[in-house]
Amino acid sequence: MILLEPNSFVLEETLLARFNSEKHEVVDITLVDFDNVVYRVQTPGEQRNLLNLSVEMKYYGEVVQYGAEDILRREYGEYLVAAASPQYQITLQFNLDQLPADRAGLAKHVSLLKRNVLSSSFVRAFEYWESQQEGAGPLMATHYRDNEAIYVQAQQDRVTVIFSTLFKEEVDRVLGRVFLQEFVDARRQASIQNAPQVQYSSREPPLEIRHLPGLRQDESVGYVSFVLFPRHFSHPEAREKTISQIQLFRDYLHYHIKCAKAYMHSRMRTRVQEFLKVINRAKPERTTAVSEKRTATGRYFRPQFRQPTSPQPTDGEW
Amino acid sequence: MSNTLRPYLNAVRSTLTAAMCLENFASQIVEKHNVPEVEAGSTKEVLLNPLVVSRNENEQVLIESSINSVRVSIRIKQADDIERILAHKFTRFLMMRAESFVILRRVPIKGYDISFLVTNFHTEQMFKHKLVDFIIEFMEEVDKEISEMKLSINARARIVAESYLSQFV
Repeated sequence: MILLEPNSFVLEETLLARFNSEKHEVVDITLVDFDNVVYRVQTPGEQRNLLNLSVEMKYYGEVVQYGAEDILRREYGEYLVAAASPQYQITLQFNLDQLPADRAGLAKHVSLLKRNVLSSSFVRAFEYWESQQEGAGPLMATHYRDNEAIYVQAQQDRVTVIFSTLFKEEVDRVLGRVFLQEFVDARRQASIQNAPQVQYSSREPPLEIRHLPGLRQDESVGYVSFVLFPRHFSHPEAREKTISQIQLFRDYLHYHIKCAKAYMHSRMRTRVQEFLKVINRAKPERTTAVSEKRTATGRYFRPQFRQPTSPQPTDGEW
Repeated sequence: MSNTLRPYLNAVRSTLTAAMCLENFASQIVEKHNVPEVEAGSTKEVLLNPLVVSRNENEQVLIESSINSVRVSIRIKQADDIERILAHKFTRFLMMRAESFVILRRVPIKGYDISFLVTNFHTEQMFKHKLVDFIIEFMEEVDKEISEMKLSINARARIVAESYLSQFV
């Protein structure tokens, strides 16, 4: 479970369950994916043989400029509905009676929808590189989350991908710096010499995007740039793989920061248990059962000193 | 154990053992009250001189004693951001469970990371030498735990980075 999958597993599973069910049931399910993407799987009105998948994507307006619609048409042309449901940006409609034979394949393909839409700026940058034009290509920004963005720019001999990521709290920021430093250092190893070059800076945006207005420049922001070389995208297969991987960088980083925190937490828990054992050794053993002692009048005798038996406090938020 | 840690812990241990010479002492200010004098500080004549055992400027123990209570405050080594966060989290974690630790203070003294308060009731009902053992063991383990956690974070970060980047090869 170190690497994340580019597709949305829960969407795939939900769709496959609907595709395979013999009886068409009325459903209305809301699912979420990385980068604040919301999916809604819904049966429209009384037509039980139809299934609508609506997608809410805050950054859809941006990726349309980079040709996301063409990608959608190419990938999901037969299912695409021209007018998306209100508040959603994309709507696909499936007719459950006329599904292709490979239902699992279709579900898998649809679950890659977010990845395909987000890939538009990458695809365009790679195409720019292929056209062998002089000078740098346009800088394409995708604000995939509030205050966080991916910038893609093609140069003659490489494609630069810059992530801006936000660390909400101080612990994340410190851990993030450790993790990102390792990304920068990891490339020194012989086995991954061919990986894209990684640069990391906090506060200071990289030169490529420094001219943009509205960039945050405080401690909580980190900028990570990947320099992709032609070997990462000249071959179509490598290109698709690169797109899938690089998109997930932010999710991958934050996922592992959370994992590190969870591990720290469970470790502290164990350590506290051990300390408790040590302090309990200081308490002399009371062999006589307390409840057995009675006074002359028949009342229970209770010793003055009692061990506190208050419940464990909650661990708070972090 | 390093060369400087052993004498440091020994000094803390002997100071603590000497300081834990406590007796019951009712408040002279309020009738029928019995408060830890080191906390109240209202009766100057029962307070003893506070003492600092110091390994270096980042690792110190402050021992304040009085007739019926001893307050021990520990400053934990924090070399960088990660150690600072780990130390802070760890002490907070413990202090939230102060109820079960009997002698642990919920809030540390200013300038220190964690404080213990031992009163004469504690020394009467628990073994004195074991209480000292606990504090010494705590000091040993905390440093060890923090450096282990730091190592594990670095190791994790390295594995994470390598497995991500090796996908591109």
